Amino acid sequence: MTGELAAPHPVLGAVVVLGVLLIGAAVVTTADAVVADRVAGRGLGLRTSLVRPWRRIALALVRPQPVTERPDWGLWVLAPATYVGMAALAVSVLPLGTDWAVADVRTGIVVLGSAEVLAMVAVFLHGWAPNSPLALVGAYRFVAAGLSFLLLSMFVLIAAALPAESMSLGRIVASQQEGVWNVLRQPLGMPLFLVVALSVSLHGPLDMADGTELATGTVAESSGPARLAWEFGRRAMLTAYALATAVVFLAGPTGPVLPGWVWLAVKAIAVAVVLVWCGHRLGRIGIERYVRLAWTVLLPLSFLHLAIAGVAALA
Amino acid sequence: MTGLATDLAFWTFAVAAAWFGWRVFRTDSMVRATFCLLASFLNVGAIMVLLLAEYLGVAMFFMMGVEMVVMAIFMVAFMMNPAGLNPMQMVHQPRAAVAVGIGAATGLAVVAAVADLPPAALLDEAGTIRALGNELMGSSMLLMEVVGVTLVATMVGAVVLSSASGRYGRADTGSVPPLLDPDDPDSRPDLASADGQDDAHAGHGGHGGHGGHG
Repeated sequence: MTGELAAPHPVLGAVVVLGVLLIGAAVVTTADAVVADRVAGRGLGLRTSLVRPWRRIALALVRPQPVTERPDWGLWVLAPATYVGMAALAVSVLPLGTDWAVADVRTGIVVLGSAEVLAMVAVFLHGWAPNSPLALVGAYRFVAAGLSFLLLSMFVLIAAALPAESMSLGRIVASQQEGVWNVLRQPLGMPLFLVVALSVSLHGPLDMADGTELATGTVAESSGPARLAWEFGRRAMLTAYALATAVVFLAGPTGPVLPGWVWLAVKAIAVAVVLVWCGHRLGRIGIERYVRLAWTVLLPLSFLHLAIAGVAALA
Repeated sequence: MTGLATDLAFWTFAVAAAWFGWRVFRTDSMVRATFCLLASFLNVGAIMVLLLAEYLGVAMFFMMGVEMVVMAIFMVAFMMNPAGLNPMQMVHQPRAAVAVGIGAATGLAVVAAVADLPPAALLDEAGTIRALGNELMGSSMLLMEVVGVTLVATMVGAVVLSSASGRYGRADTGSVPPLLDPDDPDSRPDLASADGQDDAHAGHGGHGGHGGHG
């Protein structure tokens, strides 16, 4: 059932995954504040960049939750939990050190894809549950986006699995240690995967569910701890996809001198900063244009990418 | 996993799969019914992972997830009650369905109890699986490829047909009726005034989105 990498005890593994998501969400929150201040020309201030986000989190905790007409409370509570759970599922199959992963299963990239699909279900239900128009519009929009970027992600991950001759993410890292990193070997892959990362984690220009033009869409009716849980989920998902990008395209924990997990952290933080930066520098794109772009430009590009990877694997 | 943990996991997933399957027909909403069905399938997928059919189980999560989301959207879109969002019955012909269900469950239970099932995986001594693989990837390869290309062409065709560009212009910019006389640009029928006449007859019923009515 497991691949080649060693796995810690399941309980320890669960603690590790939760720790990675919590630390990652904190790093993303800090990076977001720092990048926002840089973009606004305010420079780096300890007070503005490092204290302000935590003040906002503390304030969010004491806000009350509004009540809508006949909401589906069960789904409303379960949706953020499922979304965080799918981020955890994605992290669990990634190699976090040079010789270990929480669960280096043979079907690693399929598990990653499943996490993405079920995250789409969670976002849809989170918008559907409050029984409120703007949240529902956000939910439908995200499904339209999701059906577009899921195929993209599938082809990019299959292309990464070809040179490794395995769907295990441990083997995908090993194949990059033996040869060239995928970011160079498959140059189209990483930009396409970053599109997927922004889309699935509801960030920046590709945040189709929680856009400000929908009065924050699926979270329009959420406040207080429920809102905080959802915002944590978005950052946890960004963490998971920054780690996945580092593993699939930047050889994950590979690197000289320092331990593997340090290299992985450095690469993942670099990817996360790029993603957060995109959120502050790029304009948001309308859903019609996004779907058009995805089906007429990005998807053919991913076909081409897969074809090139296939020919290269045969050669 | 130890035997006890596997047994516990199996029974948890099995009971959850059956319970969610039952909830599909007891809920009053298309969306809830669809996602109860998804939950049932996810539990079946987990059982397949327990049976070491790892790829099939995980692929079940992946494929059923997409499939159920698409199904929910289509059912809500094409239901006769407004957007499928009003409470509704989830069963048709319930008495016949109950009879068929009990019959099928009894049949399967009898098979499971009576059949002489092997206690462990068997070696494929006759080479059936290998022969099947050779058949699919060997002499029938051309046929399989033709089927594959046809399916892709169908998918592309469906996307083209459902895409924003229709014969009345782009869907997201508002549709325009075609010219009655292709050579005369003034022959476009004026739908707004036609609607106005309708309204006069129907007493302004059901044209909520119209400008020009006070």
